Amino acid sequence: MIQCYHVDKRYDAVTYGLRDVSLQIERGEFAFLTGASGAGKTTLLRLLFAADRPTAGQLIVAGRNVSRLPLAGVPELRRRIGVVFQDFKLLAERTVFDNVAVALEIAGVRRRELRARTWSILRRVGLGHRLDHRPRALSGGEQQRVAIARSLVTDPSLLLADEPTGNLDADLALDIMDIFADAHARGTTVIVATHDRALLERYRHRRIVLERGRLVADRPPQALPSSIGRAITPRA
Amino acid sequence: MDLREARRLGTALRSGLRGVRAAPLVFAVSVATMAAGLLLLAGYLLLLYNMRDALEHFGRDLRVAVFLERDAVAAPADVERLRAELAAQDGVTDVRYVSARKALERLRADLGAEAGVLEGLARNPLPASFEIGVLPRMRSPAGLRDLAARLEATPGVDEVRYGEDWAAGYARVLSILEWVGAGLGLFLLLVLGAIVAGTVRLAVHARAEEIEIQRLVGASGLFVRLPFYLEGGLQGAAATAIALAALYAMFRLGLPLVRGPLEFLLGRTQLVFFGPLEVLGVFALAIALGVGGAVLSLLRLEERT
Repeated sequence: MIQCYHVDKRYDAVTYGLRDVSLQIERGEFAFLTGASGAGKTTLLRLLFAADRPTAGQLIVAGRNVSRLPLAGVPELRRRIGVVFQDFKLLAERTVFDNVAVALEIAGVRRRELRARTWSILRRVGLGHRLDHRPRALSGGEQQRVAIARSLVTDPSLLLADEPTGNLDADLALDIMDIFADAHARGTTVIVATHDRALLERYRHRRIVLERGRLVADRPPQALPSSIGRAITPRA
Repeated sequence: MDLREARRLGTALRSGLRGVRAAPLVFAVSVATMAAGLLLLAGYLLLLYNMRDALEHFGRDLRVAVFLERDAVAAPADVERLRAELAAQDGVTDVRYVSARKALERLRADLGAEAGVLEGLARNPLPASFEIGVLPRMRSPAGLRDLAARLEATPGVDEVRYGEDWAAGYARVLSILEWVGAGLGLFLLLVLGAIVAGTVRLAVHARAEEIEIQRLVGASGLFVRLPFYLEGGLQGAAATAIALAALYAMFRLGLPLVRGPLEFLLGRTQLVFFGPLEVLGVFALAIALGVGGAVLSLLRLEERT
């Protein structure tokens, strides 16, 4: 799914976001991208969904070489990737339903199918009863679940999440991780950037460690079960 | 374009209408400003339209008067010979003879109640003449000058008149007004384009978050830009409708007040409003202006990923 060969991201002559990063992530994998703040986690995620371009090296995502991808090719790549941001990036004036449906509208899905899929994913993340609410009427955890629903509603082959539990308490964080585990079980490649030690301890997925822009460790999944028994419980 | 693409475009267009509904005041102010500019431009165009129409009217009615030497052309055979010679000239469509007696009758009829001034004349002072119709291609000042010179060189012809000073002067004034109109039009188009571009920039700013999210979930550049093009086009169409409606109202209600001076200026008896083609042209121009303004203001947006 992702091949990264000696990738650099340099902002000026002396400032590097990433330096000589090489790694490979297979289709259907679940990986944590971890490291202290400023280690380069967000930079790497931005390269993966073509918000930025590598300064050097080659980066291939879902068969597309991001280093050479023309601007016109970026939207098509992004339609195959779901992205979850720490700050949710929801439209304040639109309903929960509209916030999720926007991804399907852009994908050109017909109206009836759009309604069915949006409704279904919102039920899956436990927000079936919140369709007509505005984001400001939701809690932080609910807003994050709306953002996750938007990223998953198109059935992306790759899901990227940048500190998705950073603003949430421990229980809500586990709810969010359960949704990711569910997406992973359905075949989606999931990459979660986090520096939350509790999460890393609890879920023993592959762990890619960055430090000052360099890849310093790449630990394979541990023997412990990665999903530890919290089934997803639809709330509506 | 496949169905999926068509649905995307449909969604983008709906998004444009939603944008107008979301900020109706900004849209209304922008439309009103644009309508004021278009009213000025359309009013000026209407003046030129009537002046050009008057000139064409003059051309259609144009007949060159060829006055004959009083003694040289007296016999009917001479009149017929001269008629044939004049009719053979390039650019002449028809030749009509007006005898001296007929000319006097016309003058008497024109004078009406004042015709008494002609009673004391010992003899008819008016010469016989030919009235000559001219082909459209010869109706320019230069063409008429050339034809008049050829007619005047014909033996038996005393003088040729075709209102040359008036026609040349009117054409010159019209030409100047057209140049002024072109300059004013260009200036107004730039101003109106800038108004649309400014409004669209405001809309882009107001919807920056939405655009960012659309980009992140895979919207193409066209999907993002299309709503703003629609908004610009709608602005142009709405402003044109208002400007033309206002101009028509002014034309109908205000015309009686300014009919005298305008008719003196335009030299014709009936002033006309734009025809359907001209109205469509103004609409097309304003819509193109609206879309063009939106395109200009979105050039920088295009460069972003």
